[in-house]
Amino acid sequence: MTNNMNLDNTKAQMRKGILEFCVLSILSNKELYPSDVIKKLKASKMIIVEGTLYPLLNRLLKAELLSYNWKESTSGPPRKYYQITDMGKTALRELKSTWKELEGAVNKATK
Amino acid sequence: MKKVVNINLAGKQFTIDEDAYQALDKYLNTINKHFSSSSGFEDIMYDIEERIAELFEEEMQGSTIITVDKVTAMQKTMGTPQDFGAAADMNTSENRRIEKRFFRNTDNKVIAGVASGLGAYLGIENILLVRAVFLMIALSGIGILPYLILWIFIPEAKTASDKLSMRGEDININSIANAVEDGVSEIKETFSELHKNFKQNML
Repeated sequence: MTNNMNLDNTKAQMRKGILEFCVLSILSNKELYPSDVIKKLKASKMIIVEGTLYPLLNRLLKAELLSYNWKESTSGPPRKYYQITDMGKTALRELKSTWKELEGAVNKATK
Repeated sequence: MKKVVNINLAGKQFTIDEDAYQALDKYLNTINKHFSSSSGFEDIMYDIEERIAELFEEEMQGSTIITVDKVTAMQKTMGTPQDFGAAADMNTSENRRIEKRFFRNTDNKVIAGVASGLGAYLGIENILLVRAVFLMIALSGIGILPYLILWIFIPEAKTASDKLSMRGEDININSIANAVEDGVSEIKETFSELHKNFKQNML
């Protein structure tokens, strides 16, 4: 039992680390509102429960890697659209190169 | 027959029956509590409510009233605060302080560690001061009885978590690791001292 639980924790930790990278990456192409981000993350099985995204968005917002503005929507109240900032772009570039390094390292180590 | 309630979720109106309302209210409250200490609290709550509203809209096809099973389904999609808490407060865990407890600090003792434990409990850094007070009490005629009583009734801080609650530090893996590290480096110091003494004696 404990073994399984540890494994779950490890999986969660792995996901957590790269989730920020994925969110920044998704938002680097265009501004989106949270539900669009969720759809993309879900499609790639990056998140299990949706609630995970919101505190994360907020953390990136506080770190000034993201910003948002309100936009009118055709259906219902205005929506909050998130976009990447210049600082976010720099961070993303760094994360990308780290990811490449890691990818190579992991592939080598697990061969 | 059931009563229904009208609610406003992130600017959208929903009709929800009473049981479902209770369930939703409870759910939002737990999320609320979970995030209330982080600084972007309103932003997070708004985004979450907006998403919940959207999930309800998707679910509503055909029906006009939100029922308990729709709330349950929504909760499954959104997850519990524990689920997303795991990803939430990685960095924002401001040094929460836990309730302090009075322990005898036998790591730093002259007699039984009562004074240094009390110092830690009261947040007095200069333990000599506490010791002086005990000494004064002892000499003033009241005697050593207060000290003895404390010695008997106050437990010794034995485990790492005892030591943390003695200092009022939050007990989590990191702080325990720190406490253990402190202990290890102390042992190392003692060893290197012993080693030095040994060398000196040999020469």
